[in-house]
Amino acid sequence: MSHHWGMAIDLDKCTGCEACVVACHAENNIATAGPEEAARGRAMHWLRVERYWEGEYPEAKLKFRPVLCQQCDAAPCESVCPTYASHHTDEGLNAQVYNRCIGTRYCANACPYNVRQFNFFNPTWDKPLQLQFNPDVSIREVGVMEKCTFCVQRIKAAEITAEADKRELKDGELKPACAQSCPATAIAFGDLNDPESRVSRLFQSGRGEKLLEDVGTQPKIVYLKRQATA
Amino acid sequence: MSEYAATLTDDLLRPLLKTSARFWILVVLLLGVVSLGVGAFAYQVNTGIGVWGLNSPVFWAFDITNFVFWIGISHAGTLISAILRLVNAEWRRPVTRCAEVITVFALMIGAMFPIVHLGRPWLFFWLMPYPTERQIWPNFRSPLVWDFFAISTYLTGSSLFLFLPTIPDFALVRDKTTGWRRRFYGILALGWTGTTKQWHRLESAMQIMAIAIVPVAVSVHTIVSFDFSMAPVPMWHSTIFGPYFVAGAIFSGIAALIIAMAALRKFLHLEKYLHPVHFENLGKLLLMMSLLWGYFVFAERLTTWYGNGVSEMTVFWQTQRLSFAPLYWTMVTVNFIVPVTILSFKRLRTIAGCVVASFGVVLGMWLERFLIIVPTLSHKYLSYSWGSYRPRTPEILLLIATFGAMVLFYVVFSKLVPIISIWEMKIGQHPQLAHEHLTSDEKATIWRTQP
Amino acid sequence: MTAIYGLFDKPDAAQRAYTGLKRAGVASHDITVISAEPFEAFEFSHRDHSMILFRLALVGGVIGFVSAVLLTRGTELAWPLVTGGMPVVAWWPNLVIIFEMTMLGAIVTTVVSLLVASKLPAFRRGLYDPEVSDGKILVGVPLSAMPGGRTEEAVREALNAGGPSAVKTTQM
Repeated sequence: MSHHWGMAIDLDKCTGCEACVVACHAENNIATAGPEEAARGRAMHWLRVERYWEGEYPEAKLKFRPVLCQQCDAAPCESVCPTYASHHTDEGLNAQVYNRCIGTRYCANACPYNVRQFNFFNPTWDKPLQLQFNPDVSIREVGVMEKCTFCVQRIKAAEITAEADKRELKDGELKPACAQSCPATAIAFGDLNDPESRVSRLFQSGRGEKLLEDVGTQPKIVYLKRQATA
Repeated sequence: MSEYAATLTDDLLRPLLKTSARFWILVVLLLGVVSLGVGAFAYQVNTGIGVWGLNSPVFWAFDITNFVFWIGISHAGTLISAILRLVNAEWRRPVTRCAEVITVFALMIGAMFPIVHLGRPWLFFWLMPYPTERQIWPNFRSPLVWDFFAISTYLTGSSLFLFLPTIPDFALVRDKTTGWRRRFYGILALGWTGTTKQWHRLESAMQIMAIAIVPVAVSVHTIVSFDFSMAPVPMWHSTIFGPYFVAGAIFSGIAALIIAMAALRKFLHLEKYLHPVHFENLGKLLLMMSLLWGYFVFAERLTTWYGNGVSEMTVFWQTQRLSFAPLYWTMVTVNFIVPVTILSFKRLRTIAGCVVASFGVVLGMWLERFLIIVPTLSHKYLSYSWGSYRPRTPEILLLIATFGAMVLFYVVFSKLVPIISIWEMKIGQHPQLAHEHLTSDEKATIWRTQP
Repeated sequence: MTAIYGLFDKPDAAQRAYTGLKRAGVASHDITVISAEPFEAFEFSHRDHSMILFRLALVGGVIGFVSAVLLTRGTELAWPLVTGGMPVVAWWPNLVIIFEMTMLGAIVTTVVSLLVASKLPAFRRGLYDPEVSDGKILVGVPLSAMPGGRTEEAVREALNAGGPSAVKTTQM
């Protein structure tokens, strides 16, 4: 069965702990920018937790929203890339091919969600962090664009294993690093082609809303609204 | 040869034959300025684009501003040369080559920026469609690939449009010089003799090129504007961008032309050929373009204001009242208020007045491109990821170097090629003998009545 | 081959010489008229009303058009990649490329046709005199072009009728 990957993020459960952000850095070999570069606006988070608040302390109400690449089915970043470095796969992912990227940065400008990050310099890691690299993910060099891939390396590994075992992928068998590490299980990931998967059911739950849906990008992440509180 | 023709030839060949120390000093200075830019680029390639002020989310700033600015300047030549040629406007004659030169060199400078701004500029050739062992071709849906095709076509077209009418002038210089100059111009003249067949073919070719180059020029800056309008972000995704940019390009091009002509008139002593009326006529065109620019800006902003979209209005207020307001109102002043004031009154529409207005327009149009790019990129839909931008030294050096390069190219060109088209000026003395003013019936009548 | 030519100060004079030469029996395609600026109003410019350059430009445009269609459609089908939810062969963006390549075809063909039709670059100099660059108009005839029996005398007489500043012979 062909897959169409999607994600549901429960804003009611998200505590803003940013474990997902750290896990993403670790899984995908993302360097930390350092204080100077971060001050220049070059922090390299593929997944960021946006924090908004209303009111003043002690009546402040906080809201957290993890924003990552929405893997849009009508992605504006894909049509503007001159070298096909950004394109759509059959499984509905927005692929970023590092080797084809020449760094025009048009995709990042076209992205309404600002989820694309650019390697302004060659990434560096303080020792001994370079021993911690994930061997399944390549290191990007200067001048190359990168972003969340829904942990495509995990997707491919799970698909290959399932094929070798001559079976279908089970729902929940495969989790990207952010979903795996979330202590509140706020992130659900799965196959939208399978109507019984958790993600498909959450998409249909009525609590879900897509981010910037009226821009027309057809994102594949649904944000589940906070339930009304007394 | 008539006395006019003799003086004309002497005056226009003098810069080619006599070189002062002032020329060499200027060239050395300009080379210094250009090398600053080259050095800045080398530093950036070696270290990374991070040496610029770009960040997330402002991924384009000075680089694309310069790109659009210089491509815009390149629209001078087309308007003056091609359109005025097509409508048989006699006053174009001393102006055409100056204008065509601006086009070619501004295009070359502008076309550098798609390479310079890349994260991996050594791979710029992947924009070209050629069969590769990777088996992949460029994405023809991308406006950047359209840029490549459009700019290549326009650069080829304008270079040829510039070169073709210089051939008879090179033949003239060849015959009037000796030594290395004779050989050099002899090669450039391609063995032109001036038979009637050659003249006829040349004029037909120029006519076809003039017809062809106008839609190409319009398409080039429209395609450059598509770099913005094809992205669904606030204040970029606007249908007005195509015509808006083309009008702005012609606007900045005429301003650059006026400045170049004034400089040439002064430094090469061309007062006999570049008259105040030429500046007046160009000044009237500049006035018209300034009004047109004001019209486009008003239409765009009024529509945005009425639409009252949250994200669009955020960007709108940034330029109108908030952090970008000083730059925005400077732009409106020098692009609209000052030029319209100066150029509306005949008494102010002197050479000096036109030059002052033009300098303002050049500054204003650079600011306009900057204000289209940075306020939008720094304020897209999600407020958590808004950003800001400040230029750093390498970007500023590159900007200065482009102006240095333009002046350098121009100075060297006018040293090697007569900056006013000599044979076209000769025709201008007796236009009734040239074909341009006659219908084909009139020409047939003249033939038949010749003894 | 020897050629004989006269140098004239004004186009009227050149026209008189030209007419005289034609009356003397020289075919118009054998008479060369060279000047430093075009004089299209005179018969000696023998304007062939051929629209050949325009037609060739159109042909060039068609070649550009076809190449662009093949390039865009062909490469998009050779390795089909979906971007932005757009079809693999997207006609609207392809039209941009097609337009540019059509114009490029027309422009380049025009220039190449001009050079070929004008026999440029000319490596061997044909009939020429540098005094043309001083404003003289050259009207000349290769002597082999004389119809049977006529001599150099007839040519000289025709040229002199225009009042030339000089009459010269040259090897072509």
